[in-house]
Amino acid sequence: MNQLGGVIAALLVAGCAPADRSPKFRTTGATTPRDGGTLRFAVKDQVPTLDPTIANDENALYVLHPLFDTLIDFAPNDLEIVPRLAERWSVSPDGLLYTFELRPGITFSDGVPITAAHFKYSLERALRTADSPFNEYLRDIEGAHDVMAGSAATCLGITTPRERELKVKLAQVNPALLGILTMSFATPQRAEYVRAAGDQLRRQPDATGPFMLERWDEGERVVLKRNPHYFDPSRAHLDKIEMLENVASDAQFQMFERAELDAAEKLAVPDYLFVMTEPAWQPYVHRSTVMNSVGSRMNVRVKPFDDRRVRQALNYALDKRHTQRLLNGTTVPAHGILPPGMFGRDPDLEPYPHDVVKARALLAEAGYPGGVDVDYVTTNDDETQKVAESLQSDLAEVGVRIHLTVMSYATWITAIGKPSGPPFSFMTWAADFPDPSAFLDPLFHSQRDRDGSSNNSFYANPALDALLDAARQEPDRGRREALYRRAEQILHDDAPWIWDYHRETTEVIQPYVGGYKPHPIWERDYTSAWLDVGADGAPVAR
Amino acid sequence: MVGAVLVAALVTVAVLAPVLSAKDPLACDVEHGLSALGVPLPPSGDAVLGTDQLGRDVWARVVAGAGTSLSIAALATLIALVIGLSIGLLAGYAGNAIDNALMRLVDLFLAFPFLLLAILLAALFRQADLASSNAPVFLTLGAVGWMTMARMIRGKTAVLARSEMIMAARAIGASPGQIVVRHILPNVAGTVIVVTALGFAQNLLAESVLSYLGLGPPPPAPTWGRMLYEGRTYFRIAPHLVLVPGAAILLAVIGFNLLGEGLRDAADAKVQR
Repeated sequence: MNQLGGVIAALLVAGCAPADRSPKFRTTGATTPRDGGTLRFAVKDQVPTLDPTIANDENALYVLHPLFDTLIDFAPNDLEIVPRLAERWSVSPDGLLYTFELRPGITFSDGVPITAAHFKYSLERALRTADSPFNEYLRDIEGAHDVMAGSAATCLGITTPRERELKVKLAQVNPALLGILTMSFATPQRAEYVRAAGDQLRRQPDATGPFMLERWDEGERVVLKRNPHYFDPSRAHLDKIEMLENVASDAQFQMFERAELDAAEKLAVPDYLFVMTEPAWQPYVHRSTVMNSVGSRMNVRVKPFDDRRVRQALNYALDKRHTQRLLNGTTVPAHGILPPGMFGRDPDLEPYPHDVVKARALLAEAGYPGGVDVDYVTTNDDETQKVAESLQSDLAEVGVRIHLTVMSYATWITAIGKPSGPPFSFMTWAADFPDPSAFLDPLFHSQRDRDGSSNNSFYANPALDALLDAARQEPDRGRREALYRRAEQILHDDAPWIWDYHRETTEVIQPYVGGYKPHPIWERDYTSAWLDVGADGAPVAR
Repeated sequence: MVGAVLVAALVTVAVLAPVLSAKDPLACDVEHGLSALGVPLPPSGDAVLGTDQLGRDVWARVVAGAGTSLSIAALATLIALVIGLSIGLLAGYAGNAIDNALMRLVDLFLAFPFLLLAILLAALFRQADLASSNAPVFLTLGAVGWMTMARMIRGKTAVLARSEMIMAARAIGASPGQIVVRHILPNVAGTVIVVTALGFAQNLLAESVLSYLGLGPPPPAPTWGRMLYEGRTYFRIAPHLVLVPGAAILLAVIGFNLLGEGLRDAADAKVQR
């Protein structure tokens, strides 16, 4: 027993010995980007597909944006729309006709020239593909309905008068169209390539961006290499971008500290607190408010969630101060789906207060005076589980007993899209483009309410639909904002989610990573990053 | 002796859990149980073993975890014992073709790496039974833990079945059922007790492993494996989250192993006498 005690003591001492955890490397002081090298980062889950018409998860996003260029893009570090594959564009005065002039000399990664027809094919492919999450975004294009319904092969509103000119004619005004066309699904695609790849398309992205796929060891790593045919070689400096899959966040940070990764994000609590308090790391920490919303969504067609009073009761029962502290003060309490800073958000709308008495009264009124037992699904992630357990504890206070089930991210995302799936679960959404329609339409418009849909609350409200349709088509900014505020109020009151928080993210990079800042939409976009390392390619020690 | 004391202490803790800690092991106390930055609190007068990442009392959880972990290990061992004992007795007594067939079945199961089989079964049971309970865990451990028992009991039974004592019983017309229950079972009881105690220790550890892999009882159930898993990221700033459940697992496994070995020594001594 004495020996055992000695061993334990020795282990403790070893574990507690102070290690130097400040950055191991420094910059060389170079002021111009250096070409070459591989940037390595990791994600917690794995990428389901690299087919741009289908892929819609954040992990895929990190590699999709370097792989696929679109007509227009957001400026680096900004939400301003800049030309990319299109040299210029114009919008008709009535807001219905968009004309894009393609840049000369743009090609696919094998050197084949890109023409306007490739854009037309790509948009039509999204419309035709039933399990594309993007087809609904194109609904306002003239003739889009017919392609979606399968009654037309090509879309009337998308035309290619010249090889380098694309015209998109809308049936009704949609001020968010440019934002929609920045998404990777709108990258040009080749019919013959798609046909030849068949069901392997998910593994064989037909790159049009500054990078192309080198290889994808599924579940392990996605490796991108520089696209030699890219029209603007000055945009990329790295030889390769390597994204490791399925690495737990605490392991990511350990690898980062050993300089096996060049960036780490979604830090575990102790690592987060460490980087936030260690002065030497401060210049390399990026805190950013990604446009997201996190909470719990309910299937409003299933008992007991079919009763609005129950949903409101749950909102009153949640104590948002708890989540705030659990997540180290990195959250903003939510009153609805739109995050702070988003156009259309009503800053005066108050989040549901924590009110146990009111919650109990509402439950009793709805016919559940003794509370109710419900199942709840969350993902196998330290943070989401912690939030779920805290929710469980909060709701227990008003008699709502939650039974937790933990699923992998991929199982969870599929399960909650089905009407017969788990009725009560964790949910999160991030904007695809900076417009309220990127939140409200996919999540709460009744047209999106179908099997496998993004409206996974299965919420259908004609009054809200009418507001969203009117707002989407409203060219006047002031009137549009007023419509979205009314929509927010309806959703706040109807409560298809338990509105919880908007999350700030923290990313820490190695001192030698240059030209990088997390993007509000693309998040971890390393397209233009470069490595400020020595002539031998190795980072310079401090 | 040390084993018996440890095991007795564990069982007492499990049974007296509600008395030993006034605090609810499931109650999150984010306001008082965490620092302003959201860090678990170290051991103090208020919480003797500190609080966990949700502000819950670690002592209350480790004590409640004794019940969860021990009951899962007990049920799993019971399942393994029922299967192992039946197959072992049948194979050992019947011999020949039946023995051969059953032992190849055992080989088949043993051919799978224990952990892989357990992970597969746990995932299947979980899917079949989405309702949160401990059943998938002890069913899994029971289903992968019987082979060694069957092997050992079969060996002992086979020797006995060819002994003069059994031949005599057969000669006076005892039925196979009578022979197995009256004569063989009492004589393999020593072996059974030893393999049960050792199997128990193994199941305790396996439950922790499954919980650590996220295949244990669903949250917020306090099991030692889950506590260890959830606490792992906090090792640097709140080591008690890992050390406490780790020590509990260590003591319990050592306790049952020592008990098993002690019982084996006792049984051997009896045989020699």
